[in-house]
Amino acid sequence: MLRDLRPILRLFLADRVRLAAGIGLAAATALAGLALLGLSGWFITATALAGASVATGLAFDVFAPAAAIRFLALARTAGRYGERLVSHDATLRILAELRERLFRGWAVPDAAGRLRLRPARLLFRLTLDTDALDGLYLRVLVPGLTALTTGGTAAIALGILDPMLGLAAGGALLGLGLALPVAASRSARRAAMARTHGLERLRAGTIDLVTGQRELVMAGQVGTRQEGLARIDARIAASDRRLDRIETGMGAGLGILGAALVAGTLLAVAALVRDGTIGVPESALALMLALFAVEPFATLGRAASELGRSLLAARRLAPRLAPAVSREPRRAPTSGLAVDIVATTVRHPDAHAPALRDVTLSLAVGERVALVGPSGAGKSTLLSLVAEEVSPGSGSVAAIPATLMTQRTELFRDSLRDNLRLADPAADDARLLDALSAAGLDDLIRGLPRGLETRLGDGGFGLSGGQARRLALARLFLRDSGLWLLDEPTEGLDGATARDVLARLWERGTGRSILTATHLRREAERADRLAVLSQGCITAIHSRGDPGFDATLATLRPD
Amino acid sequence: MHRPTPDCSSNPQRRRRSALPIAGLQVAAAILWIPQAAALALALGRLASGGGPGSVLGLAAGILALGVLRAVLEAHGKRRAFATARDVLSKERATAIAALAARSPIDRSRPAAGRAASVIAEQAEAVVPYLARYRPARLSARLVPPLIWLAVLSQSWAAALVLLLAAPLIPVFMALIGWRAQAASEAQLAEMGGMNAMLLDRLRGLATIRSFGAVDATALRLRAQADGLRRRTMAVLRIATLSSAVLELFSALGVAMVAVWVGFHLLGVLHFGVWGAPLDLAQGLFVLLLSPAFFAPLRDLAAAWHDRAAGEAALSALADLSRPGMELPGASGVSAAPAATGRKAAPSRVEVDGLGFRYGEATAPVFGGLDLTVEAGEHVALVAPSGAGKSTLLALLAGLAHPSAGQIRIGGRVLDGASAVELRAETAWIGQHPHVFPGTLADNVRLGRSIDGPGVDAALAAAGLGNVVRARGAGPVGEAGFGLSGGEVLRLALARLAASPGTRLILADEPTAHLDAETADDVARALVAFAKGRTLIVATHDPRLVKHMDRAIELGPNPVREAA
Repeated sequence: MLRDLRPILRLFLADRVRLAAGIGLAAATALAGLALLGLSGWFITATALAGASVATGLAFDVFAPAAAIRFLALARTAGRYGERLVSHDATLRILAELRERLFRGWAVPDAAGRLRLRPARLLFRLTLDTDALDGLYLRVLVPGLTALTTGGTAAIALGILDPMLGLAAGGALLGLGLALPVAASRSARRAAMARTHGLERLRAGTIDLVTGQRELVMAGQVGTRQEGLARIDARIAASDRRLDRIETGMGAGLGILGAALVAGTLLAVAALVRDGTIGVPESALALMLALFAVEPFATLGRAASELGRSLLAARRLAPRLAPAVSREPRRAPTSGLAVDIVATTVRHPDAHAPALRDVTLSLAVGERVALVGPSGAGKSTLLSLVAEEVSPGSGSVAAIPATLMTQRTELFRDSLRDNLRLADPAADDARLLDALSAAGLDDLIRGLPRGLETRLGDGGFGLSGGQARRLALARLFLRDSGLWLLDEPTEGLDGATARDVLARLWERGTGRSILTATHLRREAERADRLAVLSQGCITAIHSRGDPGFDATLATLRPD
Repeated sequence: MHRPTPDCSSNPQRRRRSALPIAGLQVAAAILWIPQAAALALALGRLASGGGPGSVLGLAAGILALGVLRAVLEAHGKRRAFATARDVLSKERATAIAALAARSPIDRSRPAAGRAASVIAEQAEAVVPYLARYRPARLSARLVPPLIWLAVLSQSWAAALVLLLAAPLIPVFMALIGWRAQAASEAQLAEMGGMNAMLLDRLRGLATIRSFGAVDATALRLRAQADGLRRRTMAVLRIATLSSAVLELFSALGVAMVAVWVGFHLLGVLHFGVWGAPLDLAQGLFVLLLSPAFFAPLRDLAAAWHDRAAGEAALSALADLSRPGMELPGASGVSAAPAATGRKAAPSRVEVDGLGFRYGEATAPVFGGLDLTVEAGEHVALVAPSGAGKSTLLALLAGLAHPSAGQIRIGGRVLDGASAVELRAETAWIGQHPHVFPGTLADNVRLGRSIDGPGVDAALAAAGLGNVVRARGAGPVGEAGFGLSGGEVLRLALARLAASPGTRLILADEPTAHLDAETADDVARALVAFAKGRTLIVATHDPRLVKHMDRAIELGPNPVREAA
């Protein structure tokens, strides 16, 4: 359990001053409340005894206790306000740090590959897990330590009146008061996990019902799917009920503990008063302490189920929070070459057959090679290999630094300027506009009232497919790299746009090495060589002028 | 086409009433504090007047018994409230899912899958705390303080007056501060969601970010964004937290003033505020013990306050999903799919008479007065410019929506709500982007139908996926078919078709678009082979597919024209 939490705790400890301040203020607030009631009980009893005779009544100093009571009331208020602010600030700081670390953790090649295989599921899980972690401090650590402090202080105060009483009350409060939540969180862990997994399945099942509805309707299986979702919900409900049973059971246990503590304290102080060890006002103080010291423990009920969820989140996030192992920089190819792949095999995780088998291919500086072959032959994998997105299983890969233009245009929800600056953080607006113009986006940029400030939606939402592609092109132009990797650069564009985009690419690409994956004739016809891929193997390489070159070109799809 | 809302059980008014007696248990538990406090006060009174442990033994037993009863009642009430709330959640989920399932797949106002999933899975979770915590807390806040107040009033009008002055000010101040804070914190919450969205957005584009060497810059940017968000959130929280501070202040001051007044009264300094004889110690302590309990329900309500907004939003989002849309013909009988016959059936003749369709009352018809006949066993291409309604026509032929006008007969039977389920069972449909479900290839062929292992293997082999199965083994395919090429996904759809021998009619919607030349040819050949002895209608632009057909029908703005 602790091992799972370690990376998360380390993250928390980096901000320990603020965290401690939050917990300290929370405990101070609870203590002020406890002291307010204890002092009030003492004060009333003392005044009642003093008031019984006129002489002592006049001599009794009422002002100091009354002032202390008012002070505690204000202190409790101030404490509560401060605690809220400090603990939320600390949580938000941790979440900011967590987001940055998670991003870096996922940005290592192997993790990125896993992410690509199941983007929706992993990303969704990531969101829920980060959200679950903010409960760890606010709803587990703060209430837990507050309860501990309050219980401990009450026990010490009682111990000053009578050591045995203090020991007994402390044992009951700290023993049972903490044992109950700990036991609850242990028995809640499995249900909390089952619940989280159930929700993920419900979500996935709903997505399938909606996106695959046509297939399911035609197969007459919608009803079965609906029943399946109802069964998943029933299982979540069973976990929910179990968690609720644990939480309410724990609450009831603490309630009974509190009542027993008060009843026991009452009998104990009665004996102490009889023996003359303490006075009646002190016994009122003791009873008030016993009565209200249990209160902070009540919030631990929710903490118990929260902890189970947080632990699961911690376990799943931890691998991505570990400091990344820096890999050896890739070997540069011998001079004159841009890419040098020798006898390389690539295997995707969980796949039986390798995606690339014994591939050998080299690109001279300034050379253009097109990878052709049916979809699934391994073209994109070969580009990913050169881009260091996937690691070779065996063989050797050397390449000069490359820039990849992905098959699916990847734009970000950000301003146009920041989308472009990804490629060149130092670029000024003139350089950005120049790149946009080179990509054929003059008209677009002129039509935008906010110009480079224009914000794009999710994945570049708001642009047409052609505009998005051109924007990716402009970004590519901003990067002065000797090797371009183009994955189906004009797929999905109409013929006229595609030819314009290609013309701009070839023009700006003069002098660079270009490796293009394609099944379109227009993208392959300007290549110096065609490499034919089939089921992960390069079956043929045709140079321009060979009879095979034109024959291969002819098999590709025209516009 | 649009059904009226059939379900009244989701009416929140009704639920509110049914929750009352359950919350009553929790109110009863809170009220039990009055006798418990009285016993405690009495016991201290006895100690003050010189009583020993023997004099308080009965009272101690009473305190313990009442405490146990309180704990049990409260736990029972919470359990019942939770169970009721959880049942509501299950019902709401089932209603929303049923509404989604009963909607035509071509309904354009159908909610997006991601949105539907997050409402049904995560957002709906907020219903339970709202119903199980907020509602009982609200009831307690209305009932418990007045009862406690009456108990205080029975001893002293002055203490009751202090509480009366402190309590109503709380909601007033909280409302004043809360209104401003709520609007701001809702905006903040949305921004927090935006923060998650930003992280996800960047992670989706990792390949590009890595390729541009921008990992570091992006990480720092995310950090800066999160820090900015933190600063803005804290600005809001400084106001929002005031409302809980105000509650704290008034309840603490209320208790403090009661304590000070009782103290001065017992001392004999203040004589006013009682009904006759001055209070004794037991009465004074009783009043003091009741005062924090007077404020406790208000604090519980404040703690449950954010459950309300989330719960109400969840209920309205679920109600949104449950609103009926364009009806799927025969949706009420979707669970009763007829068993596959297992033997090859005779092809169907398709007749279309005066068919018309529009997507909504306000939209222009996609087509109207369409007449068309396809003979049994005939292979026909539907050719038309995009937007002419080819896909819509295929969907209508598949029984996926009710036509606005006219009639479709398949194998002589009129396609309507009563016959749709049976006719769909004899029809296969292949789209441009067949959906791949998470699971193995075999699961994807079966789609939950009872087809034995050899049957599935034969279908996969017949569709040309034999080597893919050998390469991937029994492992699951990636999300949305990741790892399968476009051609393999279409072959998977063909395998589904091969596994349904009872098919009489095949409808295919541009099956070869987006495929490379070689794969498109393969898929076209396989499709035609499967369609042998069946009726086949293909909507396509692809001339290589058209040439495999017996004839082509051109669908245009005017009634159907025949091409060669």
